[in-house]
Amino acid sequence: MKPAAGLRRSSVVFALIGALALMLALEVAHAAWRAPAEARRIAASAGLVRSLGLTDLALFTEARYARHPALADLHSAFQDNPMSFEHFPSGSFVPLPHALPASALGFSADEVSR
Amino acid sequence: MTPFLRRQRALADYTLAALARRRGKNLALVVIFSVIVFVVASAMLFSAALQREADLVLAEAPELIVQQLVLGRQDLIAETEIAKLTAIRGVTAAKGRLWGYFYDRISGANYTVMVPDDPAMMPEPGTVAVGEGIPRARGFTFAQAPLFLSRWPGELQKFAVARTFDSDSALVSSDLVLMAESDFRRFFEVPPGVYTDIAVSIRNPREIATIVEKATRAMPAARFVTRDDIARTYQKLFSWREGLLVALAGAAILAFAIFAAEKASGLSAEEAREIGVLKAIGWDSSDVIAMKLWEGALIAIGAFLIGTVAAYLHVFGTGAALFAPVLKGWSVIYPDFRLAPQIDGMQLTALFLITVVPYVAATLVPIWRAASADPDQIMR
Amino acid sequence: MISLQSVSKLYNEGRPNEVQALRDIDLEIAPRAVTVFKGPSGSGKTTLLSIVGCMARPSTGRVFVDGQMVSGLPEKFLTEQRRTTFGFVFQRFNLIRGLSVLENVMLPAVPLGPDHAALRRRALDRLEQLGLGAKADMKVEYLSGGETQRAAIARALINDARILIADEPTANLDTELTHRFLEIVAALRDEGRTVIMTSHDPRIWEADMVNAVIEMQDGRISGAFA
Repeated sequence: MKPAAGLRRSSVVFALIGALALMLALEVAHAAWRAPAEARRIAASAGLVRSLGLTDLALFTEARYARHPALADLHSAFQDNPMSFEHFPSGSFVPLPHALPASALGFSADEVSR
Repeated sequence: MTPFLRRQRALADYTLAALARRRGKNLALVVIFSVIVFVVASAMLFSAALQREADLVLAEAPELIVQQLVLGRQDLIAETEIAKLTAIRGVTAAKGRLWGYFYDRISGANYTVMVPDDPAMMPEPGTVAVGEGIPRARGFTFAQAPLFLSRWPGELQKFAVARTFDSDSALVSSDLVLMAESDFRRFFEVPPGVYTDIAVSIRNPREIATIVEKATRAMPAARFVTRDDIARTYQKLFSWREGLLVALAGAAILAFAIFAAEKASGLSAEEAREIGVLKAIGWDSSDVIAMKLWEGALIAIGAFLIGTVAAYLHVFGTGAALFAPVLKGWSVIYPDFRLAPQIDGMQLTALFLITVVPYVAATLVPIWRAASADPDQIMR
Repeated sequence: MISLQSVSKLYNEGRPNEVQALRDIDLEIAPRAVTVFKGPSGSGKTTLLSIVGCMARPSTGRVFVDGQMVSGLPEKFLTEQRRTTFGFVFQRFNLIRGLSVLENVMLPAVPLGPDHAALRRRALDRLEQLGLGAKADMKVEYLSGGETQRAAIARALINDARILIADEPTANLDTELTHRFLEIVAALRDEGRTVIMTSHDPRIWEADMVNAVIEMQDGRISGAFA
């Protein structure tokens, strides 16, 4: 930020801030310009959802409760096998019921400690 | 230029000259500030765009899904249940859906296998339609490569790929494998007369609650998932995710708050003396405060703009490249999707208010006393 | 013309560390002249200087500048006076470290919002006149003692102050630089400005160009010489 001779510091900084503001404005314009095309694309996806009867986003495909959270068996503690503790990273993004009653484990705490 | 503007500009000049004295420290401050704005703005933009996409797309999801529950788990549902549902007034149609998951041992990926209900989408027996993620997961090198599916070692079933969905719809179709019903029942050994679940269309969405109530009486073992439930699940999921990212940024914000408080509010003896000098040579308290206001505003607005501009490029230019590893998790198929770029004015304003205003306030508060101190202290 | 009528100044009034810095001062300071306050340290000359320069208000008594009473005016007006009527050269000069000489000289003009280019030219002219033209872009901490003082004088005069106030201006200067300073002061007086200083330096009060010397002792005026 060393100003050249005769160039004021404020000129340099105001120009930088102006350039950044201009870029933000360009981004807003870009978003507006893209909007019709994006709306068409989303409408096409929505058409696919309608004709296939889809219910979920294909964001996390590693487990059924992550792939189809809306249809998952949220009431069963271990969805795939009894030793399957939550171990997928995306499990931290897809909320599961937190308060599992002891009965849901299917064994008592005594048994575990023994 | 009016004297007012010239004065403001001269004040900005002074504050910049003063900041330039500790150039490294102040640039570091702007950089850290920008990074925090960038992370928070990226999370906001990404989450809002994804949510919007999900809202628009899932608005077309079936009004009601009926699942059979056995021992708390979803099970196949009998065809005979369909009649119970169509008998309810207000139900236009109830169709059995055939779908499920297929773990592909070759690529280690999970596919969502589905039989389309729409005849236009139905592939010929022996062929499949696949989402864009499947050729990627299988490493297909040529366009007409057939899809081999294997349930156990030694077994191999060949399907011709009739169609591949493009990445425009990747967010909903990436891991799909569409099959003919006959192929599906044979390959997965699903006996005739059962379905995965039943999709119900309802004429008037306001009747959904009543219909669910009636259906519950007819099918006590079933679980009903309405479109609202789906929307709620996603709302929760996105706010949860955004919250998580903001929480991650929280640690950084805290560290920054300490740094900024030290930098902005801790008025050094040196600075207090300088303010005394400025007052003695004829600066008014309002000049001193305006000068400090410029300091806070230039740093905070600069960082806000840098962070926001970069966040837009990150989320919509690179497809949130920095978040993808976190979101991908262990999934082998991650949709190759672009989000519809959009900037929400309200969100932007909120971000401005939570970043710029507190910083400017932090710079101003300690100056108040110094600015009103007696100028003759400098003589003593 | 500045006049003081029964001016007293109390610091830390009502507290155990109360100090009576000035007691009942009556004084008239001639315009377009050089006036020097002399006296030992603690005699109240700096306090008197800060009251004359509108930096502090007297505890009692009145101060007039050009016939206008300034002692009871609000802070904003005093600031205005400091900015337009007075120029200050402090004992430790009090230039802002880290800024260039030119930036320092332009500082008192900032609140007035003058045209930047014109102000810059004026500041450079003044620095040129004081022999500092070549050092305008240098940071002030790299200046020598005499140069620092001249930079402080340039800053004091940037708003074309009619009255220059200097607190112990020659405390750290050798004989040659003291002479240089006195030449500058004489030139300023010849331009029609009033110069008021404090000093316990005999080289100052014995100088020919000083018009009046006011001797102080324990917050009182103990003698005046013309």
